[in-house]
Amino acid sequence: MKKYPINFFVNDEPVELYVEANKTMLNVLRDELCLTGTKEGCGAGECGACTVIVDGKPINACLVLAPEMEGMHITTIEGIAKNGELSPLQKAFVKHAALQCGFCTPGFIMSGTALLQENPQPSREEIVRAISGNLCRCTGYIRIIEAIEEVAAAYEGGEK
Amino acid sequence: MREFEYLKPTSLSEAIAMRVRYGDKAVILNGGTDVVIQLRERLIAPDYVIDIKGLEGMQELTFDPKEGLFIGAGVTMNAIGEDPNVKEHYPYLAEAALSVGSKQVRNRATCIGNIVNASPLCDTGTPLYVLDAKLVIAGSEGTREVPIREFITFVRRTVLGKDEIVLGIKVPYIPEAKGIFTKIARRKEVDLSTICGTVLKIGKSYRLAFGAVAPTPVRLDKTEKLLEGRDLTPELIDEAAELAQTEVSPISDVRASKEYRLDVVKVIVRRSLTTFMQEV
Repeated sequence: MKKYPINFFVNDEPVELYVEANKTMLNVLRDELCLTGTKEGCGAGECGACTVIVDGKPINACLVLAPEMEGMHITTIEGIAKNGELSPLQKAFVKHAALQCGFCTPGFIMSGTALLQENPQPSREEIVRAISGNLCRCTGYIRIIEAIEEVAAAYEGGEK
Repeated sequence: MREFEYLKPTSLSEAIAMRVRYGDKAVILNGGTDVVIQLRERLIAPDYVIDIKGLEGMQELTFDPKEGLFIGAGVTMNAIGEDPNVKEHYPYLAEAALSVGSKQVRNRATCIGNIVNASPLCDTGTPLYVLDAKLVIAGSEGTREVPIREFITFVRRTVLGKDEIVLGIKVPYIPEAKGIFTKIARRKEVDLSTICGTVLKIGKSYRLAFGAVAPTPVRLDKTEKLLEGRDLTPELIDEAAELAQTEVSPISDVRASKEYRLDVVKVIVRRSLTTFMQEV
C-alpha cells in the first residue's frame, strides 16, 4: 500500500513519518507515535475525546486524514504539562475533581486550553459553548465549567 | 477505511484534470467533517481522494459593499461566524454558520462543503437562499456562476459536473436587509436541524427560506408574494404563516414527524414576522 511522507510538529517536536491515506490523525498519534492520551470515543466528530489543538484551534483528530497532517503544528494532551508540572487548567481539574473515569478529560483539557488561549477570561456562556463538542458521561459538566472558570478568574493579563 | 489514493493538486487546472481523469472514482475532500465519516462508514468507496483546500484562493473571505461577500470554498464555519464583516452585514449567516456541529467541527467544516453536500437540512443553506447567493464553479470549459436555488436539485444532488469544482460563493449585499435565522434541533448544540429557516426583510419585501421541509432547501414564493409591499399586521402574519405551510412538503423521520414540522414552519414564520413588525 502506498505511503505518504509527511512532516509536522507534535508538541513542538518535528516529526517525519510515512503514513497511509486511509488512516486518521488519531490513528497516527496513538498507533504510530504512541501518544495515547488522545482518545477515540465515537470516531465521528460527536464526542470530542480526540480533541487536539492545531495551529491554535481545537479540532477532532478523528476527522483528519493522515496525509492532511503535513505542515501542521499539533498540540496533544501530552504537550500541556511543562517540565513535569501540570498546567493551571490541569491543576484546576484535579482541585475541582472535574473528572470521574477520565476518558473524556484529555479532550476537555484541550478544548479548555484552546479557549483560554484565545480568550483568557471567557464568560460562563462562552465556556459552555466552547466545550459543547465534548461529551462527559460520568460527572456532568458543572465541575468542569468551574475548573475552567477558576483559571479564567486567576488571569491577570499579560502572561497566561 | 478502504484503501484509496490521496491526491493534493497544487493548481486549479491540475485539480480539474484529476476530476476529469478519475470521474466517479474520486471524491473531493475539503474540511473532511462529512467525507471522512462517509469513508469510515464505507458509505463512499472512492479510489482517489482529491484534497482541494490548499488551492489558491480557497481561503478567501472578502467583503465589498458593491460586490458583496465572497466565501472561498475552504473557508471554515468558524471563520465565517467570527468574521467582522459577516457579523456586521450578515449576522443571520454568522449565526447559521456557528450553529453547525461543535467548535472542533466548525474549525474544519466549510460552508461550501455544507452546500455541495446538498442535505435538505444544511444549516447555512437558508441564509444563502434568501440572499440569492451564486456558486462560482470552475470546470474544464472555464468558470460559471449558478444561483444556489438552481445548484441544489434534490437530496444530496447538485448540478456540479464531473469535471467541476466549486471555488466559492458570492453573496449579494443588500444594505437595508434584516434577517432572522432560526434553527430548531433536539439539543442546543452539536445537532442537526430538525428544521431551519431564514426570514429576510428588505423594506416592505420579504424573503423566506426553509430547510428540512422538502428534498432541498426551499424559498416560499407564494408567501413572499402575499407579503410584498404590505405593512405587517397580526392578521397578515397569520395569513402568511398558514400559506407558508402549504409551500413545504416535510416528511417524518428520526428527528420529527411531518405534522410537527408543518407546525414549526408556521411558528417560525409567525415569530420572525412578528419580530419585524414590533421593530418598526
